[in-house]
Amino acid sequence: MIRHLLKLVWNRKRVNFLIMVEIFFSFIVVFAVIFMAVYSFDNYRKPLGFRYDDVWAIRVQNSQGMPEEDKVNQLATFRALLAATKEFPEVETAALTWLAPYGRGDWNSGRKSKDGSNFDIGQNLASDDLKEVLGLKVIRGRWFSREDDGVKNYKPVVINQKMADMMFGDEDPIGKNVAEPSRDNKPVEELRVVGVIEDYRNRGEFAEHRGFMFFRHDLQNSTEIHPQTIIIRVRPGTTAAFEEKLLKRLQAEASEWSIEIRPLTELRDRMLQQYLVPIAAFGLIAAFLLVMVGLGLTGVLWLNVTQRTKEIGLRRAKGATRHRIYRQILGEVLLIASFGVLIGVIVVVQFPLLDFFAFADPQIFAWAVGISLVMIYGLAILAGIYPSMLATRVVPAEALHYE
Amino acid sequence: MTTTSAAISQPLDTQAGVELMIRLEEVEKVYRTDRIETVALTNVNLAVRTGEFISIMGPSGSGKSTLLNIIGLLDVPSSGKVVINGRTINSYSDRNLSRVRNEEIGFIFQTFHLINDLSVQDNVEIPLLYRRSMTGGERRRLAQEALDRVGLSSRVHHFPSQLSGGQQQRVAIARAIVGKPRVLLADEPTGNLDSQMGDEIMDLLEGLNEQAGTTIIMVTHDPRQAEKTERIHRLFDGRQVN
Ligand SMILES: Nc1ncnc2c1ncn2[C@@H]1O[C@H](COP(=O)(O)OP(=O)(O)OP(=O)(O)O)[C@@H](O)[C@H]1O
Ligand SMILES: [Mg+2]
Repeated sequence: MIRHLLKLVWNRKRVNFLIMVEIFFSFIVVFAVIFMAVYSFDNYRKPLGFRYDDVWAIRVQNSQGMPEEDKVNQLATFRALLAATKEFPEVETAALTWLAPYGRGDWNSGRKSKDGSNFDIGQNLASDDLKEVLGLKVIRGRWFSREDDGVKNYKPVVINQKMADMMFGDEDPIGKNVAEPSRDNKPVEELRVVGVIEDYRNRGEFAEHRGFMFFRHDLQNSTEIHPQTIIIRVRPGTTAAFEEKLLKRLQAEASEWSIEIRPLTELRDRMLQQYLVPIAAFGLIAAFLLVMVGLGLTGVLWLNVTQRTKEIGLRRAKGATRHRIYRQILGEVLLIASFGVLIGVIVVVQFPLLDFFAFADPQIFAWAVGISLVMIYGLAILAGIYPSMLATRVVPAEALHYE
Repeated sequence: MTTTSAAISQPLDTQAGVELMIRLEEVEKVYRTDRIETVALTNVNLAVRTGEFISIMGPSGSGKSTLLNIIGLLDVPSSGKVVINGRTINSYSDRNLSRVRNEEIGFIFQTFHLINDLSVQDNVEIPLLYRRSMTGGERRRLAQEALDRVGLSSRVHHFPSQLSGGQQQRVAIARAIVGKPRVLLADEPTGNLDSQMGDEIMDLLEGLNEQAGTTIIMVTHDPRQAEKTERIHRLFDGRQVN
């Protein structure tokens, strides 16, 4: 029967070609959206590396900017602000950093991986208490501490597991230098890995999983990049009323500075939205497209069946049961869809082969292809059910009544 | 074959030791469309013995096609009884009706009804597609055999549009006989052909009747052809006249 269907479909290729093309394009669009969704979902499942509940970010900026000659004074203000937050019993711990998790902006750099390819890493500053505030998980070596005070010929850094994997594979990264070699062979200051944390995905659950590196800020050295954010962990149940109290106190410490307090949950919502909105928008467009394609396909198949009532009547007269007719029409639809989908898969498989989607796992790719296949076949079946049912209602005596 | 054995033992089905292939009793057919009722057949009784070749004649609209469709299980009578090969057909399931159509009956139409998108070979194979457990090779062999029988074995890869009307009707006959049915129903099989081609088709049908013992019921307008059959049934306005 399959052979018979193949012949039928092939001999009617002119009509079927259009359906095939429609299925092909639908597959490509569905794949694009599903790939985005699967990729985001896969990212979402990976550990975030920090905790955001009961953590507030206080962005602190001198309204005059940061003139070179004033850096020592400004650092003193930072220290005073940090100390002020710690006066409150509502604040469990507090630390300094450059950019809060889920914060806008990025500080990144590039490194060479063990196998020679380039990859991006994110960077940030951390005072020793940041691990406590964010609940970072150290899985090798140690976090920053007083031990690192006064080291001269290198800077201690803590990297995430991903960066360690990329640069060192199975080797122990502790004690290794992760500085980027300069192009002109000038000596660069050593960045010595003192610890590895599980992760720190500051751009949130949906963002690409990338390497990350923390520099230590000891709150003394004004030649460093300056922190801009105080991160505090408040006691569970602390309300927004405290936000006002805290703001008043900090503002008293640095009256001409701009100070903004935001719970991480709020920043998180904003960040997740940034990722979800385009997916939802594309998903909606794709859904509309699928509905259109589905209705169009139903129409084409419907017309197809009404044009073939004689053939269907004849098959019934020759012993085909209603069920066989149903299976035939639906089988033809699925066969045509299979050709469209086959070409779609061939096209889509070129992407990883050409290294277009190098950032995504082959597994994610396979999942996206699989889900897209299920959706397109589902669409084809949905579109085929009604016309196939119509075909079973053909009354042979009427269909064969000569013209 | 699943059959109701009660029907086989009915006395009417054997007359003087000759088996009856088809028996119609008081068959009526009324077409109802909205408010218009068309009586297509009234009180038709018919008994056709196994191996008989009979013809049905009558003016246009007298119910010949309706009668043939009822015998071929393409249509159901409004009342009356249809017995085919000893089995009373009244409320068969779609599956059983399909099986009887497939195994017992071969239909030939005035307008051939070949599927233009399929080759001659594939057209002839169609009834065999609906047989359970038949291999592709077996289907091909039987189709070749049937095409041989109608003298078209050299045209297997042609498409219907590449054949003359007479050749197309011979393909349709090959398709009707490929499953070796015991009954052939032909509705004006030569109606669309010139007389020479018509004679060829008649010869074919006569040959099938004589050599394979196939029971044939043929609707025709042509008295010359009707005379070649054993019996002529005449219909007028849905009634039998003799
Ligand atoms: N599906 C139908 N619905 C309503 N009336 C029908 C239908 N089929 C046939 N009839 C009517 O039944 C009557 C018999 O039709 P039938 O086709 O059996 O005639 P026929 O003897 O085969 O005629 P012809 O020689 O022209 O083929 C006609 O009056 C026809 O109009
Ligand atoms: Mg007729």
